[in-house]
Amino acid sequence: MTDMNKQNRLEDALKHALHRQDAPEDFTQRVMARVTAQGIASAASPRFLANRLHPAAYPLGRSGRGRRRHDFRSPLLHRAPRTRSGEAAKQRLMLALRVAGSKLQLAKAKSTR
Amino acid sequence: MAQRTAAEQSPDDFEKVSENVPLNDISAADFAEIVRRHQSAVFSIALHFLADRSAAEELAQDVFLQLHANLATMKSEDHMKFWLRKVTAHRCIDYKRRRKLPQVSLDDAPEPAAPAHSTDPFLARRLRQYVGSLPEKPRLVMILRYQEDMPAEDIAEVLTMPLATVKSHLQRSLAMLREKVTRAIGEVSL
Repeated sequence: MTDMNKQNRLEDALKHALHRQDAPEDFTQRVMARVTAQGIASAASPRFLANRLHPAAYPLGRSGRGRRRHDFRSPLLHRAPRTRSGEAAKQRLMLALRVAGSKLQLAKAKSTR
Repeated sequence: MAQRTAAEQSPDDFEKVSENVPLNDISAADFAEIVRRHQSAVFSIALHFLADRSAAEELAQDVFLQLHANLATMKSEDHMKFWLRKVTAHRCIDYKRRRKLPQVSLDDAPEPAAPAHSTDPFLARRLRQYVGSLPEKPRLVMILRYQEDMPAEDIAEVLTMPLATVKSHLQRSLAMLREKVTRAIGEVSL
Protein backbone atom coordinates (compact mmCIF):
# COMPACT_ATOMS: atom_id res chain seq x y z
CA MET A 1 0.00 0.00 0.00
CA THR A 2 1.42 3.37 -0.97
CA ASP A 3 1.90 6.17 1.54
CA MET A 4 -0.76 8.18 -0.27
CA ASN A 5 -3.29 5.37 0.10
CA LYS A 6 -2.45 5.02 3.77
CA GLN A 7 -2.88 8.74 4.23
CA ASN A 8 -6.25 8.67 2.49
CA ARG A 9 -7.43 5.74 4.60
CA LEU A 10 -6.39 7.48 7.79
CA GLU A 11 -8.19 10.62 6.72
CA ASP A 12 -11.32 8.62 5.84
CA ALA A 13 -11.18 6.93 9.23
CA LEU A 14 -10.87 10.33 10.91
CA LYS A 15 -13.88 11.68 9.02
CA HIS A 16 -15.85 8.67 10.15
CA ALA A 17 -14.66 9.00 13.76
CA LEU A 18 -15.34 12.73 13.91
CA HIS A 19 -18.62 12.81 11.99
CA ARG A 20 -21.31 15.14 13.28
CA GLN A 21 -23.40 13.88 16.16
CA ASP A 22 -27.05 14.72 16.70
CA ALA A 23 -27.67 17.28 19.38
CA PRO A 24 -30.00 16.09 22.16
CA GLU A 25 -33.61 15.82 21.00
CA ASP A 26 -34.97 18.83 22.86
CA PHE A 27 -31.91 20.99 22.30
CA THR A 28 -33.74 23.65 20.28
CA GLN A 29 -36.51 23.97 22.87
CA ARG A 30 -33.97 24.38 25.66
CA VAL A 31 -32.13 27.09 23.75
CA MET A 32 -35.40 28.90 23.07
CA ALA A 33 -36.40 28.62 26.72
CA ARG A 34 -33.09 30.18 27.73
CA VAL A 35 -33.48 32.92 25.11
CA THR A 36 -36.93 33.74 26.51
CA ALA A 37 -35.72 33.62 30.12
CA GLN A 38 -32.79 35.85 29.28
CA GLY A 39 -35.15 38.36 27.63
CA ILE A 40 -37.29 38.50 30.77
CA ALA A 41 -34.25 38.78 33.02
CA SER A 42 -32.74 41.62 31.03
CA ALA A 43 -36.10 43.40 30.93
CA ALA A 44 -36.19 43.24 34.75
CA SER A 45 -32.61 44.42 35.20
CA PRO A 46 -32.06 47.56 37.31
CA ARG A 47 -30.44 49.38 34.40
CA PHE A 48 -33.41 48.64 32.15
CA LEU A 49 -35.81 49.89 34.83
CA ALA A 50 -33.76 53.01 35.43
CA ASN A 51 -33.82 53.78 31.73
CA ARG A 52 -37.54 53.14 31.44
CA LEU A 53 -38.50 55.17 34.49
CA HIS A 54 -36.24 58.13 33.74
CA PRO A 55 -38.27 61.20 32.72
CA ALA A 56 -36.25 61.42 29.53
CA ALA A 57 -37.73 58.11 28.50
CA TYR A 58 -41.16 59.68 28.19
CA PRO A 59 -41.82 61.40 24.90
CA LEU A 60 -42.58 65.09 25.15
CA GLY A 61 -44.63 67.15 22.79
CA ARG A 62 -43.78 70.65 21.70
CA SER A 63 -41.93 72.55 24.38
CA GLY A 64 -41.27 76.21 24.92
CA ARG A 65 -43.94 78.85 25.08
CA GLY A 66 -46.63 76.68 23.62
CA ARG A 67 -48.59 73.99 25.35
CA ARG A 68 -46.32 71.32 26.74
CA ARG A 69 -47.88 68.00 26.07
CA HIS A 70 -46.78 65.07 28.14
CA ASP A 71 -47.58 61.66 26.80
CA PHE A 72 -48.61 59.81 29.90
CA ARG A 73 -48.64 56.49 28.17
CA SER A 74 -45.83 54.34 29.35
CA PRO A 75 -43.14 53.96 26.71
CA LEU A 76 -43.51 50.27 27.36
CA LEU A 77 -46.80 50.33 25.47
CA HIS A 78 -44.93 51.17 22.30
CA ARG A 79 -42.75 48.14 22.56
CA ALA A 80 -43.16 44.75 20.95
CA PRO A 81 -45.58 42.25 22.53
CA ARG A 82 -42.72 40.00 23.63
CA THR A 83 -41.06 42.84 25.49
CA ARG A 84 -44.38 43.76 27.05
CA SER A 85 -44.88 40.22 28.32
CA GLY A 86 -41.38 40.44 29.80
CA GLU A 87 -42.33 43.71 31.41
CA ALA A 88 -45.50 42.17 32.83
CA ALA A 89 -43.41 39.37 34.32
CA LYS A 90 -41.08 41.98 35.79
CA GLN A 91 -43.99 43.86 37.34
CA ARG A 92 -45.23 40.66 38.96
CA LEU A 93 -41.74 39.95 40.25
CA MET A 94 -41.42 43.46 41.68
CA LEU A 95 -44.82 43.14 43.37
CA ALA A 96 -43.81 39.79 44.86
CA LEU A 97 -40.60 41.35 46.14
CA ARG A 98 -42.48 44.25 47.71
CA VAL A 99 -44.95 41.88 49.40
CA ALA A 100 -42.11 39.71 50.65
CA GLY A 101 -40.26 42.80 51.88
CA SER A 102 -43.26 44.15 53.78
CA LYS A 103 -43.87 40.75 55.37
CA LEU A 104 -40.25 40.64 56.40
CA GLN A 105 -40.54 44.09 57.96
CA LEU A 106 -43.65 42.99 59.80
CA ALA A 107 -41.99 39.84 61.12
CA LYS A 108 -38.96 41.87 62.16
CA ALA A 109 -41.14 44.38 63.99
CA LYS A 110 -42.98 41.58 65.81
CA SER A 111 -39.78 39.89 66.86
CA THR A 112 -38.32 43.10 68.31
CA ARG A 113 -41.46 43.75 70.40
CA MET B 1 -41.11 20.99 11.60
CA ALA B 2 -39.41 17.61 11.87
CA GLN B 3 -35.92 17.64 13.28
CA ARG B 4 -33.33 16.32 10.90
CA THR B 5 -30.54 14.02 11.95
CA ALA B 6 -26.90 15.03 11.81
CA ALA B 7 -26.37 12.61 8.97
CA GLU B 8 -29.01 14.46 6.98
CA GLN B 9 -27.43 17.80 7.80
CA SER B 10 -24.36 18.00 5.62
CA PRO B 11 -22.06 20.99 5.95
CA ASP B 12 -23.54 22.21 2.67
CA ASP B 13 -26.88 22.63 4.41
CA PHE B 14 -25.48 25.75 5.97
CA GLU B 15 -26.12 27.45 2.65
CA LYS B 16 -29.79 26.54 2.63
CA VAL B 17 -31.14 28.78 5.37
CA SER B 18 -33.80 31.02 3.91
CA GLU B 19 -32.28 34.13 2.43
CA ASN B 20 -35.57 35.90 2.98
CA VAL B 21 -35.01 36.03 6.71
CA PRO B 22 -33.55 39.37 7.79
CA LEU B 23 -31.12 38.28 10.46
CA ASN B 24 -31.29 41.45 12.49
CA ASP B 25 -35.03 41.22 13.06
CA ILE B 26 -36.26 37.68 13.13
CA SER B 27 -39.06 35.93 14.93
CA ALA B 28 -38.61 33.27 17.60
CA ALA B 29 -39.70 30.63 15.09
CA ASP B 30 -37.06 31.76 12.59
CA PHE B 31 -34.39 31.75 15.26
CA ALA B 32 -35.46 28.25 16.34
CA GLU B 33 -35.03 27.15 12.73
CA ILE B 34 -31.52 28.61 12.66
CA VAL B 35 -30.72 26.71 15.86
CA ARG B 36 -32.06 23.49 14.35
CA ARG B 37 -29.95 23.87 11.25
CA HIS B 38 -26.70 24.57 13.07
CA GLN B 39 -27.06 22.68 16.31
CA SER B 40 -25.42 19.43 15.23
CA ALA B 41 -22.33 21.25 13.94
CA VAL B 42 -21.93 23.38 17.05
CA PHE B 43 -22.76 20.55 19.44
CA SER B 44 -20.39 18.13 17.67
CA ILE B 45 -17.43 20.51 17.71
CA ALA B 46 -17.94 20.91 21.46
CA LEU B 47 -18.50 17.19 21.98
CA HIS B 48 -15.41 16.12 20.07
CA PHE B 49 -13.34 18.73 21.85
CA LEU B 50 -14.64 18.20 25.41
CA ALA B 51 -15.60 14.49 25.20
CA ASP B 52 -18.44 15.26 27.61
CA ARG B 53 -22.04 15.34 26.34
CA SER B 54 -23.55 17.51 29.06
CA ALA B 55 -20.69 20.00 28.94
CA ALA B 56 -20.94 20.07 25.14
CA GLU B 57 -24.68 20.75 25.32
CA GLU B 58 -24.22 23.54 27.85
CA LEU B 59 -21.52 25.12 25.74
CA ALA B 60 -23.56 24.79 22.55
CA GLN B 61 -26.55 26.43 24.23
CA ASP B 62 -24.32 29.30 25.35
CA VAL B 63 -23.11 29.74 21.77
CA PHE B 64 -26.68 30.07 20.49
CA LEU B 65 -27.58 32.51 23.25
CA GLN B 66 -24.60 34.59 22.18
CA LEU B 67 -25.74 34.30 18.57
CA HIS B 68 -29.19 35.55 19.55
CA ALA B 69 -27.64 38.55 21.28
CA ASN B 70 -25.52 39.27 18.18
CA LEU B 71 -28.02 38.60 15.41
CA ALA B 72 -27.99 42.23 14.35
CA THR B 73 -24.30 41.96 13.47
CA MET B 74 -24.74 38.94 11.19
CA LYS B 75 -24.22 40.02 7.60
CA SER B 76 -25.02 36.80 5.78
CA GLU B 77 -25.51 33.08 6.21
CA ASP B 78 -21.83 32.49 5.49
CA HIS B 79 -20.89 35.06 8.07
CA MET B 80 -23.12 33.37 10.64
CA LYS B 81 -21.61 29.96 9.85
CA PHE B 82 -18.11 31.37 10.23
CA TRP B 83 -19.13 33.18 13.43
CA LEU B 84 -20.65 30.05 14.98
CA ARG B 85 -17.57 27.94 14.32
CA LYS B 86 -15.28 30.65 15.61
CA VAL B 87 -17.24 31.31 18.79
CA THR B 88 -17.65 27.59 19.45
CA ALA B 89 -13.94 26.97 19.00
CA HIS B 90 -12.93 29.80 21.30
CA ARG B 91 -15.53 28.87 23.90
CA CYS B 92 -14.21 25.29 23.86
CA ILE B 93 -10.71 26.51 24.70
CA ASP B 94 -12.03 28.87 27.40
CA TYR B 95 -14.18 26.12 28.89
CA LYS B 96 -11.30 23.69 28.98
CA ARG B 97 -8.99 26.22 30.59
CA ARG B 98 -11.57 27.15 33.22
CA ARG B 99 -12.60 23.64 34.13
CA LYS B 100 -9.28 21.87 33.62
CA LEU B 101 -10.98 18.67 32.48
CA PRO B 102 -8.90 15.52 32.94
CA GLN B 103 -7.13 14.40 29.79
CA VAL B 104 -7.58 10.86 28.57
CA SER B 105 -4.25 9.12 28.89
CA LEU B 106 -3.28 7.04 25.89
CA ASP B 107 -1.98 4.37 28.24
CA ASP B 108 -5.44 4.06 29.79
CA ALA B 109 -7.18 3.58 26.48
CA PRO B 110 -8.41 -0.02 26.17
CA GLU B 111 -7.02 -2.18 23.40
CA PRO B 112 -9.44 -3.07 20.61
CA ALA B 113 -10.83 -6.59 20.69
CA ALA B 114 -10.18 -7.30 17.03
CA PRO B 115 -8.33 -5.93 14.00
CA ALA B 116 -10.20 -3.02 12.57
CA HIS B 117 -11.03 -1.46 9.25
CA SER B 118 -11.85 2.13 8.37
CA THR B 119 -15.47 2.05 9.61
CA ASP B 120 -14.76 -0.09 12.63
CA PRO B 121 -16.29 1.44 15.76
CA PHE B 122 -13.23 0.41 17.77
CA LEU B 123 -10.96 2.30 15.42
CA ALA B 124 -13.33 5.28 15.46
CA ARG B 125 -13.35 5.31 19.26
CA ARG B 126 -9.59 4.96 19.37
CA LEU B 127 -9.15 7.83 16.92
CA ARG B 128 -11.49 10.05 18.96
CA GLN B 129 -9.43 9.27 22.04
CA TYR B 130 -6.22 10.15 20.24
CA VAL B 131 -7.69 13.37 18.89
CA GLY B 132 -8.98 14.14 22.38
CA SER B 133 -5.48 13.73 23.77
CA LEU B 134 -4.02 16.35 21.43
CA PRO B 135 -3.25 19.82 22.81
CA GLU B 136 -6.12 22.32 22.48
CA LYS B 137 -5.22 24.09 19.24
CA PRO B 138 -4.19 21.02 17.21
CA ARG B 139 -7.31 19.26 18.50
CA LEU B 140 -9.55 22.04 17.23
CA VAL B 141 -7.70 22.06 13.92
CA MET B 142 -8.36 18.32 13.50
CA ILE B 143 -12.04 18.65 14.49
CA LEU B 144 -12.64 21.52 12.08
CA ARG B 145 -10.76 19.70 9.33
CA TYR B 146 -12.38 16.29 9.64
CA GLN B 147 -15.77 17.01 11.22
CA GLU B 148 -16.56 20.21 9.33
CA ASP B 149 -14.48 19.36 6.25
CA MET B 150 -12.94 22.82 6.32
CA PRO B 151 -9.89 23.71 4.23
CA ALA B 152 -6.78 24.85 6.09
CA GLU B 153 -7.29 28.45 4.97
CA ASP B 154 -10.73 28.64 6.61
CA ILE B 155 -9.45 26.97 9.77
CA ALA B 156 -6.71 29.56 9.98
CA GLU B 157 -9.32 32.30 9.76
CA VAL B 158 -11.66 30.75 12.32
CA LEU B 159 -8.87 30.15 14.83
CA THR B 160 -7.03 33.39 13.98
CA MET B 161 -3.89 31.40 13.37
CA PRO B 162 -1.28 31.58 10.59
CA LEU B 163 -1.97 29.19 7.71
CA ALA B 164 1.46 27.62 8.10
CA THR B 165 0.69 26.81 11.73
CA VAL B 166 -2.58 25.14 10.77
CA LYS B 167 -0.82 23.03 8.14
CA SER B 168 1.89 22.15 10.60
CA HIS B 169 -0.68 21.09 13.22
CA LEU B 170 -2.44 18.92 10.63
CA GLN B 171 0.74 17.22 9.47
CA ARG B 172 2.08 16.60 12.95
CA SER B 173 -1.25 15.38 14.30
CA LEU B 174 -1.75 13.03 11.37
CA ALA B 175 1.76 11.64 11.78
CA MET B 176 1.18 11.14 15.50
CA LEU B 177 -2.18 9.47 14.92
CA ARG B 178 -0.75 7.18 12.27
CA GLU B 179 2.03 6.12 14.61
CA LYS B 180 -0.35 5.53 17.54
CA VAL B 181 -2.89 3.64 15.46
CA THR B 182 -0.26 1.51 13.82
CA ARG B 183 1.29 0.68 17.17
CA ALA B 184 -2.04 -0.14 18.77
CA ILE B 185 -3.98 -1.78 16.00
CA GLY B 186 -1.51 -2.71 13.34
CA GLU B 187 -0.50 -1.74 9.86
CA VAL B 188 -3.35 -3.77 8.32
CA SER B 189 -6.02 -1.50 9.67
CA LEU B 190 -5.10 1.54 7.63
